[in-house]
Amino acid sequence: MLHKLTNVVTRFPKTTISLVLIATIFFALQFPKIKIDTDPENMLEQNQPDRVFYQDMKKEFDIHDLLVVGIVDGQGIFNPDTLRRIARVTDDILKIKGVIIEDVVSLRTSDNVTSENGTLVVKRFMEEVPQSPKAIEKLKNAVYGNSFFVDKIVSKDGKATSIYIPISKKAESYRISEEIERILKKELSPEQKYYLAGLPVAEDTFGHEMFVQMGITAPLAGFFIMLLLLLLFRKGVFLIPPMMDALLAIIWAMGLLIGLRFPVHIMSSMIPIFLMPIALLDDIHILSDFFDRYPSIKDKRKTIIATMKDLYRPMFFTSITSAVGFASLAMADIPPIRVFGLFVAFGIMAAWFFSHTVVPAIIMLMNERKLAVFLERRQQKRSFLDRMLKSLGNFAFAKSKVILIGASIILAVGIIGIKQIHINDNPVKWFKPKHKIRIADKVMNKFFGGTYMAYLVVKGNKEDAIKEPAVMSYINKLENHLENLKIVGKTSSIADIVKRINYVLHNENKSFDSVPKKRDEIGQYLFLFSMIGDPNDLDNFIDYGAQKANIWVQMKGGDNIQMRRVEESTYDFIKKNPLPKGITVRWSGLTYINKVWQNLMVFGMLKAILGSFFIVFLLMVFEFRSIRLAIVSMLPLSFAIISSYGLIGFLGKDYDMPIAVCSSLSLGMAIDFAIHFLQRLRAGYKKYNNAEAINAYMFQEPARAISRNAIVITFGFLPLLGATLTPYVTVGAFFAILMIFSFLTTLVLLPAIMRLWGKALFAKEVSG
Amino acid sequence: MKIIKGLLIIGLLSNMLLKLVPAFAAENNLTAEKIIAKSRLAFYYAGNDMRIKILMELINKDGRKRIRELTMLRKDYEESGNQKYFMYFHKPADVKGTTFMVYKYPGRDDDRWLFIPAINLVKRIAANDKYSSFVGSDFTYEDISGRKPTEDTHTLLREEKLNGKDCFVIESIPREASVYTKRISWIDKKTYLPLKEEFYDKQNELYRVFEALEIKDIDGFPTITGRVMRNVKTGHRTDVTFQDVQYNLGIEDNIFSERYLRRPPLKWIR
Repeated sequence: MLHKLTNVVTRFPKTTISLVLIATIFFALQFPKIKIDTDPENMLEQNQPDRVFYQDMKKEFDIHDLLVVGIVDGQGIFNPDTLRRIARVTDDILKIKGVIIEDVVSLRTSDNVTSENGTLVVKRFMEEVPQSPKAIEKLKNAVYGNSFFVDKIVSKDGKATSIYIPISKKAESYRISEEIERILKKELSPEQKYYLAGLPVAEDTFGHEMFVQMGITAPLAGFFIMLLLLLLFRKGVFLIPPMMDALLAIIWAMGLLIGLRFPVHIMSSMIPIFLMPIALLDDIHILSDFFDRYPSIKDKRKTIIATMKDLYRPMFFTSITSAVGFASLAMADIPPIRVFGLFVAFGIMAAWFFSHTVVPAIIMLMNERKLAVFLERRQQKRSFLDRMLKSLGNFAFAKSKVILIGASIILAVGIIGIKQIHINDNPVKWFKPKHKIRIADKVMNKFFGGTYMAYLVVKGNKEDAIKEPAVMSYINKLENHLENLKIVGKTSSIADIVKRINYVLHNENKSFDSVPKKRDEIGQYLFLFSMIGDPNDLDNFIDYGAQKANIWVQMKGGDNIQMRRVEESTYDFIKKNPLPKGITVRWSGLTYINKVWQNLMVFGMLKAILGSFFIVFLLMVFEFRSIRLAIVSMLPLSFAIISSYGLIGFLGKDYDMPIAVCSSLSLGMAIDFAIHFLQRLRAGYKKYNNAEAINAYMFQEPARAISRNAIVITFGFLPLLGATLTPYVTVGAFFAILMIFSFLTTLVLLPAIMRLWGKALFAKEVSG
Repeated sequence: MKIIKGLLIIGLLSNMLLKLVPAFAAENNLTAEKIIAKSRLAFYYAGNDMRIKILMELINKDGRKRIRELTMLRKDYEESGNQKYFMYFHKPADVKGTTFMVYKYPGRDDDRWLFIPAINLVKRIAANDKYSSFVGSDFTYEDISGRKPTEDTHTLLREEKLNGKDCFVIESIPREASVYTKRISWIDKKTYLPLKEEFYDKQNELYRVFEALEIKDIDGFPTITGRVMRNVKTGHRTDVTFQDVQYNLGIEDNIFSERYLRRPPLKWIR
């Protein structure tokens, strides 16, 4: 059937190209509908229980998206000039539309509750900007006398202040943060540094960077690959078929994705970068083979037909195995990864289709005379690559036993390395360390209680359960326990508020800085609090029916490992100090959500990789009609994967989202070399009977095509190292390593195995 | 071109005319300042004293409710001048017996005292009445006891009907920075009670809306017995019902003292 296709395509090249281009226009027309998704919550299914819980608790406790401004003055903020600037900045921020005025937390807007000469005084910390040293001293005492605000709106060392700005709509965070930045630039002096943090800022920046990656890094990688192809093929016109193939595959895959209304997530933004090198692979084989055959056939069409005939099977199997590898991601419980896997798989099969249509058609349109001249001249020359491959072949053949022993050692070391792997991720670290988001993150975590938010929700079985003294003091104890953990910078809860009221009502007597023992007292203190603040002051900490409370846990780090430790330590505490009757606790918050999806991903990926390993193995059995050969064909990729992951373990690089994603698709990629190698080897056994001659044959055209592919992929992914988002960097580096390992195993380990057991493995071909 | 110019001039003229109409009305009758001052008397100073049972429902955006039930006594000492308030809370159950007293002085901050029965303590409280909430409701203390008319500059915008009643529509802009940047009041020409008020925040956006839902004539005093304050930005609202409204009861002056905070005057609060 494919043979017929080649016949038709080579007879009507122009029609073929036109038809494909018309279809491509349809896909390209979908592009303007693009929607970007940077919400980390979308890593989980809509109905995933932890996500549902998080959504509900955010609503219940009126938790809004938060922008955080940090202002740092090396000379300290407690002087009239700096305080005046801070006040002006805050006043102007309140005027920005979309800012929830009454919920802004800062020196200028937050109420302090104190006791002065027996009177309970409720006052903004900085209603008026203090001028005299005495007034400044008073402000300092007020802030540092209220532990609720220390490390929150001022740093312990008095050098930094922050303003917490809740916004009503996340979609407007970009505009609001721009306006905030304008205010900061206008009002602050040059010595005062400001930092803008908070999830909405990170998300917006991330969305922006994603476009940059797609618009700059991907084309850059494309340009780089073009240069590599030019080096390999030495003639510009030969770049057209593979580049067309890659470009069309990207347009089809992205067009379909956008057209089907899937938002572009960090994962799917990487689709072009993944597709480009993979889409080229088949075409490099076609061109390599075409070059080698043309001088003896001397007819474009006949050469193409002959070339394609030998490549139908390997091209199909290499494409389908890669597609299966990616499609196996559909088994993951993380929607963006599923979408990514399926659409890359679609792109790969589209590229395979173009290799059978557009690519031969373009070759047909090349000038026959020029082609002949070029290719004949080319055949005379022996390139550096050829010489390299020849000695590599000799080495593999001569030292086969040494190679096998060496390989086993590397494998063992690799397994040891894998055992060292840390499963860990932190989406903030998806920005490079020098990125302003990372710098803001670092500075804010140095000065304040921590920018990574987690919530511990305490739930009772009836209304007003939280007002029970046993529950309130348990919350207090739990908080103390959490604050003793190094990673936890600060906790805040309803218990802190009750304690503060108790303390202030008793004329700031230290012995009343505690949770009251009577139920009425707690109820009346909370009532008192509602008489002196805003109606929604307590909302963040207690629900409307006082059945649930929310402990804010600010962490100085957002690594999954750190979150897990805090979580485990909490359960440990609960085991030793049983919860009051009818009370349950549950973790939530973004830092926790990140931990949840990371967990899901690790096991999802494991499932995916095992699944695709099995499917690829079946495909190989089908392809080679031999279980033993199928096992051999799986060797290079197993070796490559184990070595690559072993290396990650030894390097101490965290097993994070991008690494996890690489694992399942590395399978589909790494097997390609083995398929081509073994297919050619089988043909070789039919032609030659001498192991050495076969080896020498293998290290000519077959090894050349494999090397070209390895070079293109290894170097083609390198521009990713310059990306500003670390997932791209990781993917680029990992693929380069993986390609080198699978290239070496295919061209060193496989020949060594073949020298020792080749005859037995290809018994059928040898006898026939 | 000429036509456009002509239209422009007509537009300008009619605009000017529209602006002149209320100005005339004001000159013929009352200035905006006077209307507000009169309204304040009708709203906050009806009778010499007053006793009411107030039912408040604090309702959040999800429709969940908190209840406040209290008896309030008020005594006036001079027209638009000093006042004293006494409040006794019946509900919620865990605050029953809490009492609260306010001495209102138009010229300066209020004095407030709270009695907390659980610890048998009377505490003086100093808090800004401009923005602090009244018992967790959408009303501020200022909304409950009034704001001095001279704190704002008032302009009569227009006169119009609201729910069939003739109203003055007055814009009030605070002279000094305040929680709101603009207030627009619809004041009933007959009773001088505010039927509706809109509050605009620092972002010049509407955030709170007051509405009088029910007005009854009690002992000759038109009284708003049903009212609501909505925060349109948060979705929170407070429904208030006045029950058993009585005027001119002759409430004794000594009721408004620390002694009665601790031992509420049963005669009045029931």
